[in-house]
Amino acid sequence: MNLFHKKLQILNTALCAAILFGTVTVTNTAFAESPSQVNDPLLHAMQQELDREKALMLPGMQRPYFIEYRLDDIHTYEAVANYGALTQEVANHQRIIRVTVRIGDYAVDSSSTRGDGTVELAPTDDNPLALQYALWTGTDAAYKNALRAFSAKQAALKQFQSAQAQPDFAQAKPVVQIAPLVTLDLDRNEWKRRIVEASGLYASDPDLRSFADDVQYSIANIRGIALNRYLVNTEGTVVREGYTGYNGAISVGGQAADGMRLSRDNGTVATTAKELESAAAFRKRYIDDLKTFEELRNAPVVSADDYHGPLLVSGDVAADIFTRLFIPNVEADRPEMGTTARTTGAYSSSYKSRVLPDLVSVTDNPLEAKFNGKALLGAYTIDDEGVPAQSVDIVVHGKLENFLIGREPIKDIATSNGHGRAAPAQAAHSRSGVLLIKADQPLSKEELNKRLLAMAKEQNKDVYAVETLGGELIPRILYRVKADGTRQLVRGAVFDELDNRSLRSGILALGNDPYVSNSLGVIPQTIIAPSMLFEEIGVKRATVEQQKLPYYAPPALPGK
Amino acid sequence: VEQPKPYFLSYAVADSDSIAMSAQFGAIVGANESRRRVADVQVRIGTAAQDNTHGDHRNSALTTVPLPLTDDGPALARSLWFATNRGYAKALDAYLKVKTDQQVRAKEEDGSPDFSTEKPATELLPSPPPLVVDRAAWQDRLRELSSLFKQYPDVFFNNVALEASTETDYFVSSEGAKVATPNHVARLVIVARTRAADGMDLFRAETFEADDVSHLPDQKTLTEKTIAMAKNLEALREAPVTEPFNGPAILSGRASAVFFHEVLGHRLEGQRQRGDDEGQTFTKLLGKQILPTFLSVSDDPTLATFDGVSLSGHYSYDDEGQPARRVDLIKDGVLDTFLMSRLPIASFSTSNGHGRSETGHMPTGRQGNLIVTSTKTVKDAELREMLKAEAKKQGKAYGLYFEDISSGFAVTTRRSPQAFQVIPLVVYRVYVDGRPDELVRGVSIVGTPQAALNRILATNDKQDIFNGICGAESGSIPVSAVAPAMLVSEIETQRQAQGTARPPILPPPGAAGTGGKGGR
Repeated sequence: MNLFHKKLQILNTALCAAILFGTVTVTNTAFAESPSQVNDPLLHAMQQELDREKALMLPGMQRPYFIEYRLDDIHTYEAVANYGALTQEVANHQRIIRVTVRIGDYAVDSSSTRGDGTVELAPTDDNPLALQYALWTGTDAAYKNALRAFSAKQAALKQFQSAQAQPDFAQAKPVVQIAPLVTLDLDRNEWKRRIVEASGLYASDPDLRSFADDVQYSIANIRGIALNRYLVNTEGTVVREGYTGYNGAISVGGQAADGMRLSRDNGTVATTAKELESAAAFRKRYIDDLKTFEELRNAPVVSADDYHGPLLVSGDVAADIFTRLFIPNVEADRPEMGTTARTTGAYSSSYKSRVLPDLVSVTDNPLEAKFNGKALLGAYTIDDEGVPAQSVDIVVHGKLENFLIGREPIKDIATSNGHGRAAPAQAAHSRSGVLLIKADQPLSKEELNKRLLAMAKEQNKDVYAVETLGGELIPRILYRVKADGTRQLVRGAVFDELDNRSLRSGILALGNDPYVSNSLGVIPQTIIAPSMLFEEIGVKRATVEQQKLPYYAPPALPGK
Repeated sequence: VEQPKPYFLSYAVADSDSIAMSAQFGAIVGANESRRRVADVQVRIGTAAQDNTHGDHRNSALTTVPLPLTDDGPALARSLWFATNRGYAKALDAYLKVKTDQQVRAKEEDGSPDFSTEKPATELLPSPPPLVVDRAAWQDRLRELSSLFKQYPDVFFNNVALEASTETDYFVSSEGAKVATPNHVARLVIVARTRAADGMDLFRAETFEADDVSHLPDQKTLTEKTIAMAKNLEALREAPVTEPFNGPAILSGRASAVFFHEVLGHRLEGQRQRGDDEGQTFTKLLGKQILPTFLSVSDDPTLATFDGVSLSGHYSYDDEGQPARRVDLIKDGVLDTFLMSRLPIASFSTSNGHGRSETGHMPTGRQGNLIVTSTKTVKDAELREMLKAEAKKQGKAYGLYFEDISSGFAVTTRRSPQAFQVIPLVVYRVYVDGRPDELVRGVSIVGTPQAALNRILATNDKQDIFNGICGAESGSIPVSAVAPAMLVSEIETQRQAQGTARPPILPPPGAAGTGGKGGR
C-alpha cells in the first residue's frame, strides 16, 4: 500500500512540474513544438536538480551565483574498410553531463581561462532520478573545486597592481528554446557496401590495377554523429538544440620511387546523410584520388631553388589558410590573468586596424543555414552558453571590427555575440560558426588565372597554383605554371612566408567561386572562401628525410 | 648494402566478440558491443643471442594492425604485408641502436640471449561458443543491482558493469607454430564508494567471473552481495580510524590470494630477474627457502575451475604460442623457478608457457592461476584462537583480521621502494579479551615483502579464489589467485594518507525532506 501511494505522489509531482514547465516554454521561435513534445524528461530532471542545488552551500562559504548543466546526448557510428574489406564498425550512444559552478560575481569569479566544471557519465536510460544523481555528485564536486579556485584566484589577483579590467562573466538574457530532437539517420549497410567497394578499387578497377603495387594503404570510412544538447542554468535559460553531421572519407597513400611519402585524403561532408555524395560520386572520388596519387608519384620534385612570387590558391586552399591563420586570431580567447593584452591571438592589438586588404570583408553568421543550396555544418541558432547566435562583421574592408566571442568578455567587447561553443563534454570557448570571406570586386576563375599568367610574363618566370593542401599548410596538389598556361604537377614543396602579413597585404584579388568547407570536428564549423591570388609567397623544397621503400613487394593481387 | 633478414616472424591474431554494459544509480550509462580482429606482428632481427628487442628496445619487435572482419584472403594478406614491412623497418632501426648501445655500455649483469629456443606447437583447438547475452535481461539486472544503493544515501557512487567476450587467438610463426585457442570469459564488477565525515575515501569492489554469462551467480546472490557491500561501506564510514600497529594478523583467503599475487607472484616473473632497472628481489634466492616449509606455490593455467568456480587465469596456449603448463614455483618453501616467457634469464633459458600479453603489447612472464597450498592447516576457529594467543604473547590488546584487500600495481623497479602495493579495504580488530571484533578504517600496510612472507605461522583449511584483471608492462590480462587464509606473526600497519574533501553537502536527490523528488 505504502509503495503504491509513494509512486502516485511522485507521478503527481512530476506532472505538476511538467505543466509548469510547459507554460514557461516560449512559442515564438520557428522551432517551437507542440507542448507534449516540449515536456522533455531530461530537461525536467535537470531543472529539478538545479532548483534543489540552489540550497548548496558550505557553512561560512559563498553560495554559487551561477550554475549551469549541460547534457550532451551523443549517438555516433563509424565503419572503416581497408583494402576492400570491413575492418571496423562501431556504434555508440553516450550521455555526458558537464556541470559549471561559479562562485563570486560576474565581475570576479572562480573561473579560469581553461574552463571549469566537472564531467559525469549520465544514464542513457531516460531515468530522471538517475540523471539527478549524476548531476548531484557533479555539482557537489564542481562547487568544491570552484571554492578552491576562487580563493586561489583572489590570492593570485592580489599580486597584480591594477584590478582586473574585464569582468569574468558577461550578463546574458535567459533564453528558452526547444528544438526538435535530431537522430542519426544513415543507411549503414549501403555505406558499408560503398566503403568496402571503394577501398578495394585499387585492386579491382581495370584502370587502377596496373599500379596497385604502389598503393601501400587504401582506406575508406563513413562516420556520423547526432548530438542533442540540453542546457539549463540558474539564470533561467532552457535550451535543447542538436546537430547531425556525416563524413564519408578516403585515404590512400604510398611512396614515390625516391621514398617520399604521398597521400590523398578527402571526403564528402554534410549535415544529413542524404546530402552526402552519391555512390557513383564516392566511387569516382576514390578513382580520382588514386589517379592523382599515381600522378604525384611520377611528378618531379619541386625545384631546389627557392621561389618567391605569385601564387594562385583555390577556394579549398584559401579555406584551409584562413582556418589556420585567421580564425584562431578572431576567436576571442582571454589572455592570462594580469596581462593587459586583449586576446591571446595574433590580432590582440589589431582591433580597428587593417588585417586584410581593403577589398576583403569577413562575416561569421551561424544563422546562415544554407549557402547556394548546401546545408552548412557550422550553423546554429543558440550557442552552447544559451546565447542566441548573431551575425558578426569581423572584418569590414580589411579592418578588424569585431571578435567572435562567448560570455567571457575581453577589452572593448563586453558581451557575447553568440559564439560560445563547446566540444562534447568540454567547456565553451569563443569559436566561429559559419565564416564567409567576401571580396568587393570578385574575379572569375578565368580572370584570376589570366592575372597569374600576366604576372608570370611580367616577372619572366614560372609561377605556382595550388589546388589542395595536406595538413599544416603544406601543398599537396601544386602546379608549376608557365606563362603560356601549361601546368606541371610537382611534389615535395612547402610554403615559405605564408603568414598573417601575407594575409594583410599580400592578397591581390579574390575569385567569385566561393568554396564551402564543412568540417566535422569536435565543434562543427563551416568556412566559405573563394580562390585568391597572392602577390608573393615562397615555395621551396621540403627538407624531410625520405623513408625507405617497402622492403618486399605486396602480395600478388588475386588473379594476377 | 643487403639488410639482414628477420630470423623470426610471428603473427598473433585475436578474433574477438565482446559486449560491455554498465549501470549507475539504477540506470544504464553505457552499452557497447564490438567485434575486432587485431594482429600483433612480431619481427626479430639479429640472432636469438642478441636481437632488436635487447634491453629497452623490447617493443621494437611489435607492430599492431586491425584485420578485415570478413575472411577476405587478399585483404588479410595485404594488411599483414603492410604491418610486417613497417615492423621490419622498426626492427632494423632498433637493431642498429642495440648494436651501438652494446659498444658503449658496461658488461650486463645478465648476459642471457634475447629469445629462447622452443619447439613450435601445432594444434587447432575447437572454436569457442558464440557470444550469447540476453542484453535486455542483463540490463534489467544491472539496473536493479545498482539501484539497491539508493537505500544507502551515503554511498554516493556506484557502478555495476558486465563484460563478456569470446575470442579465438591464432598464432603462427616462421618456426612453424600454428595454434588456435579459444578464450571466453564473463565478468560482473560491482564498485561503490563513500566518504567518511573526515574526508577519507572508502570503496569496495566485488568481482564475479565465469566462462559464460549464464554461469554468473544468480540475481538473488548478487543482490545479497550488493546489499552486504553497501552495508559494509556505511559501517566503514562510521568505523574508528586505525592506529599504527605492529603485531599479528590473519589475512582471509581472498585477502591472502591478492597478497600472494601482488607481493610474490609479480616478483617471480622471469623478466624481473634481468635488466638494470629491475628489482631482482628473488634472483639470488633460487634454491633457497623463501616461505615457511609448509607452503608451496604453483601457477597452473591449465586449470579451468577450482572447486567448481571458474578461474580467469586459465588458457591452453600462451601469447607466444607455447602450451600452458603447471609450474611449481615454490616447493615446501623453497624457490624452484620463475614464470617464464621466451625471454631467457641467467638461471632459466626456456619458456614455461607463461608468456602473456594483452593485444598490442609484447608478451612477458606473467601469472595465470597462482595457487598457494599449505600442509599446516587448522580450522578457522582455531586460527582465530592462534591469532589471539599470538597477540597476547606479544602483549597486544588485539590482532588484525584483513577480510578484504585490493591490489594496487606491484612496483618492483629499483628506483621505487619495494613496498607491497595492496590496499586493505575491510579490517577488523580481534580483541584478546573477548570483546566483539571491531571494524576499523584507514589501514595501510608498511614494510618489505619478504619479511611478511617469512612470518606466516599457519593457514586455514579452505582455499579461496580471487579472479581479476592484472595490469603490468605487457598489458591487462585476466588472472586468478587461490590461497588459504593465513596467520602472520607480525604485520606493520599505519594510517593511510587520506583525502580532505567533505562528503556530499546536499543529500541525494529523492531523499526525504529535501524537496527534490525525481521518479520515472
